[in-house]
Amino acid sequence: MHKSLMTMTPTPTFDGLAYRRAAFPTLGAALDYAARGAKGMNFHDARADLVRAYPYADLAADARGQAMRLVAAGVKPGDRIALIAETGPGFAAAFFAAIYAGALPVPLPLPTSFGGRDAYVEQIATQLRSCDPVLVLSPEGLFPMVEQAATGLCAAHDWAMYFAAPAADAALPEAKSSDIAYLQYSSGSTRFPHGVAVTHEALLANLAGHAHCMAAGDGDRVVSWLPWYHDMGLVGCMLAPLANQISVDYLATEDFARRPLSWLTLISRNPNNTLSYSPTFGYDICARRISPSINVAERFDLSRWRVAGNGADMIRPEVMQAFVDVFDAAGFKASAFLPSYGLAEATLAVTIMPLGEGIVSDLIDERTLSGSTGARTDARRPTRYRAIVNCGKAVPGLTIEIRDEDGAVLPDRKIGRVYVRGLGVMAGYFRDEEATKAALSPDGWLDTGDMGYLSAGSIFIVGRAKDMIIINGKNHWPQDIEWAIEQLPGFKAGDIAAFAITTPSGEESPAVLVQCRTSDAGERNTLREAIRSKVRAITGMTCVVELVPPRTLPKTSSGKLSRSKARSQYLSGEIQPLDVAA
Amino acid sequence: MTNRAQVYARIIELIEPLNPKKLALAEDTSFAGDLEMDSLTVMDLVASMEDEWDIVMPLNMLPDLETIGQVADAVTKLVTK
Repeated sequence: MHKSLMTMTPTPTFDGLAYRRAAFPTLGAALDYAARGAKGMNFHDARADLVRAYPYADLAADARGQAMRLVAAGVKPGDRIALIAETGPGFAAAFFAAIYAGALPVPLPLPTSFGGRDAYVEQIATQLRSCDPVLVLSPEGLFPMVEQAATGLCAAHDWAMYFAAPAADAALPEAKSSDIAYLQYSSGSTRFPHGVAVTHEALLANLAGHAHCMAAGDGDRVVSWLPWYHDMGLVGCMLAPLANQISVDYLATEDFARRPLSWLTLISRNPNNTLSYSPTFGYDICARRISPSINVAERFDLSRWRVAGNGADMIRPEVMQAFVDVFDAAGFKASAFLPSYGLAEATLAVTIMPLGEGIVSDLIDERTLSGSTGARTDARRPTRYRAIVNCGKAVPGLTIEIRDEDGAVLPDRKIGRVYVRGLGVMAGYFRDEEATKAALSPDGWLDTGDMGYLSAGSIFIVGRAKDMIIINGKNHWPQDIEWAIEQLPGFKAGDIAAFAITTPSGEESPAVLVQCRTSDAGERNTLREAIRSKVRAITGMTCVVELVPPRTLPKTSSGKLSRSKARSQYLSGEIQPLDVAA
Repeated sequence: MTNRAQVYARIIELIEPLNPKKLALAEDTSFAGDLEMDSLTVMDLVASMEDEWDIVMPLNMLPDLETIGQVADAVTKLVTK
């Protein structure tokens, strides 16, 4: 039979297998069960045409065969296997081969833009040094860069060639539910990465909780373009549907970036209910892509989009409203929006909004958000409000507390640091006891690093205490930007503070304050340009650079740089930037 | 027949709307350093070049393309292949 005809039928939304809500001891057992049905993964090209249907049964068979190859190569339980997380059957099979072999798969990122070869190679090398794998596997196209990154660190192979070699039958180890299942690098800086270690039981408990909140099950189909090196892509849109026996339609992230409307085409084409997630910017670029020449009602049918999940970055109500305004004609329901809050350190989801309530927000005085308590300083200026989105209630098995700086639990509607405990919290950061201790207390409370408040059990996230900067769904760490500038001659640690500022349109933008000892305005200009291009070369970001006089950056009581204080002093005008020649 | 000069000229036209600062575009103008393009804008440009010449630019090509001249070379190669 002609092969392409066989593979051009997508896996079904319904089959005869009884639905089991992630109730499995291990991830391997979850795949074994899904493999008994007819559902699976479906990979599409940039124009949303099906390229490959990959039933869970085929995935399980491939992964078992490949696991034997790993065992034959001497891979032991607990070893790490790094994998370049390209959306496709190659990564999926290698990920589960590692799971079946008892090894920890470690998804690594893909390059995302023009240029930056050296930065990408360095990022991969840094993550390889952190997770210390026996092996890194990649798709053919990226292999030269991956091989370069792995030099002196571990073996590197193109996965197609590596798994083409025959392997003798071998007994595969039996994983325990308390074993670490995988490592995830979606949190933490590029320069100083932390691998989040998640056990099988934490993962499956979180997946069951999150499927419960979405009432996921028979008749649902997942559509996703999210990258598999990010927790929402890997856990939310690959492992969750698999552990809940749901078929998925995938669009590679780079194809979504080129043709975002293909995402909506896949949803329109599904005759049943769709579950699909995106950070704010995904909804934003779709709404912006619609020009008057596109007949939305004719081209799309979004009426069966049952859950349009929001998460992974700050949810911006005005962007979501713009999406509704554009796609209402295609039957999109605003009540399909499902705000959530989560982080890789808690596997994925911490809270999810009750189904059908859509986006509900509080209007909060900006002064309350910045922590000021006194009366208004200038009565002539209007009170500014910010809309804070209700991110819902804790998923079953998790408890949330809001605490003040001294660790005391705060009452409802008081802003403090968000702590989480229960099923789904990570085991720790891989081989980083210091960072683990800083994030996780002995009695199991995870310090999320985020700021927020509770109101009748629902959480409202107002910002991040960990100083992380999120742009277009991508996390950037101030340490990486500061490190980039420290590489220039004449700067040292403590001279630089990087943080996010909110532009008038509500978007985040990175800003850096740099202590400068030069009094010549022309020289300052040269310096500022050098800083801007250094930050761009290393992080790929354009940021606001302000030069400030020496000894103006605030320190914490322990003598460390306080980015949050530097930010508020800069925004309030307390720190005045130096003049720079135009 | 599409030659490199035609490809280069058309790429310049495709970049113009993504060049709000109206920088003078040249062979060695870089996307990240000079044009300050973020990755979403870059992918937008990639999509329009793919449509223009009915080609596919694989992701693994992008990290080696820093300048407009390098992109013109890569596109010319894909078009004439």
